[in-house]
Amino acid sequence: MKYLDEYRDPQLARTLVARIKEESSRPWVMMEVCGGQTHTIVRQGIGEALSGSVEMIHGPGCPVCVTPLEQIDRALHLASRPEVIFTSFGDMLRVPGSECDLQQIRARGGEVRVVYSPLDALELARNNPDREVVFFAVGFETTAPANAMAVWRARELGVENFSVLVSHVTVPPAMVAILESPDNRVQAFLAAGHVCTVMGWTEYLPLAERYRVPIVVTGFEPLDILEGILMAVRQLESGRYEVENQYVRSVTRQGNLPAQDLVSRVFHLVDRQWRGIGMIPSSGLGLREPFAAHDAERKFALEGITADEPSVCRAGDVLRGRIKPNECGAFGKACTPERPLGAPMVSSEGACAAYYNFKRFPAPDPRAADVAAARAL
Amino acid sequence: MCLGIPGRIVSLSDGGGLLMGMVDFGGVRREVCFAYLDGQVEVGDYAVVHVGFAISRVDEEEARRTYEALKEMSELDELDWMREVAETGLGPLKERPA
Ligand code: SF4
Repeated sequence: MKYLDEYRDPQLARTLVARIKEESSRPWVMMEVCGGQTHTIVRQGIGEALSGSVEMIHGPGCPVCVTPLEQIDRALHLASRPEVIFTSFGDMLRVPGSECDLQQIRARGGEVRVVYSPLDALELARNNPDREVVFFAVGFETTAPANAMAVWRARELGVENFSVLVSHVTVPPAMVAILESPDNRVQAFLAAGHVCTVMGWTEYLPLAERYRVPIVVTGFEPLDILEGILMAVRQLESGRYEVENQYVRSVTRQGNLPAQDLVSRVFHLVDRQWRGIGMIPSSGLGLREPFAAHDAERKFALEGITADEPSVCRAGDVLRGRIKPNECGAFGKACTPERPLGAPMVSSEGACAAYYNFKRFPAPDPRAADVAAARAL
Repeated sequence: MCLGIPGRIVSLSDGGGLLMGMVDFGGVRREVCFAYLDGQVEVGDYAVVHVGFAISRVDEEEARRTYEALKEMSELDELDWMREVAETGLGPLKERPA
């Protein structure tokens, strides 16, 4: 267990690993739904450390990775228009669309700007009244309050040339979709700490109850994750299915109420497509009617732009835990972080890129992929 | 992309009806919005900031630990975005392409 020595407190890490192994009377299957956690789990070799006791499946926890191809293509279309200044968080620039990515549009002369805050995009709009500024509003619940505020302010200040291309997703419906899929293997969840910093954790209570599944709100550092896993193992071993909070340093029961309040004023729940997974009912946020003037999809009539995901990319199987990233035939060959075929290879929080970057996983021989595919059936 | 970065609050001010503040992220300073922590923070406190919005208050010890953890993980992309904005600015674009 060489990686344990890199922990802040290697002794505590060892103790936690030993406890998890001792207390697991059988192998348990858990899923984390947070790109930060995926990154840590793969980087620290937590899966190998717990092998035989706990199997971690890396769920759809990276908002960049689940943004549907269609929305990327719409972004590319907007960014190519001469009157548009297209603004986005930096991590969307290399996400592959059907033809190219935002970075390539920029290289061809499209006005694509990285912003840190959505309020930066609003500022840009106010300073460029003769241009249309579009902001790519992606993210989970953690990011929604920021993007909601930009739209709210745009309306308040009457900034007519500011609009948002919304692709927001929410975590609990994705967990439901995974639990309801016929071949689900997930027995417990680690819930994303920073999502719960905003949302609190009470919305997970009905989920834990209905599906009899333990849910532990967990931070993203190695020791947090080991502790979260141990809490989940203890629930599983004693037949409990509760919502527990490992990440008390940051998460309260109620979360950040002013943030939740503004999000619900600006957005409402809509059905949303998840890249690799497909449509999940009521799993996304869309703009409410009073903000329609700031909705890029309506302003630029984008409905006509649709896309089919490339069949070679098995992101859906990866995100549902049916295969590990290195069991995809393209992994490390046709698909690398330099030349990603699918979104999970783009972001350091995507499961495929995390596997690739920490190199402890050779690309499998083709037979292994077939075995994996057969197992998934 | 949802981890946020902890920083120290250097100043707080009114930004046209929104509580704004200057935050120091390990030496990089940037103005962020405190509307979601209005009434809960003071200058010198630490807060976790995500895409320009403070979302929770943390103590100094936690802020330091988290910052170090993010650095080890190379999960400080948001700092790169801040730098990019600082370099290019948000002013009027020079010319409109034909
Ligand atoms: S390795 Fe590439 S092609 Fe395969 S599932 Fe991951 S992103 Fe898709």
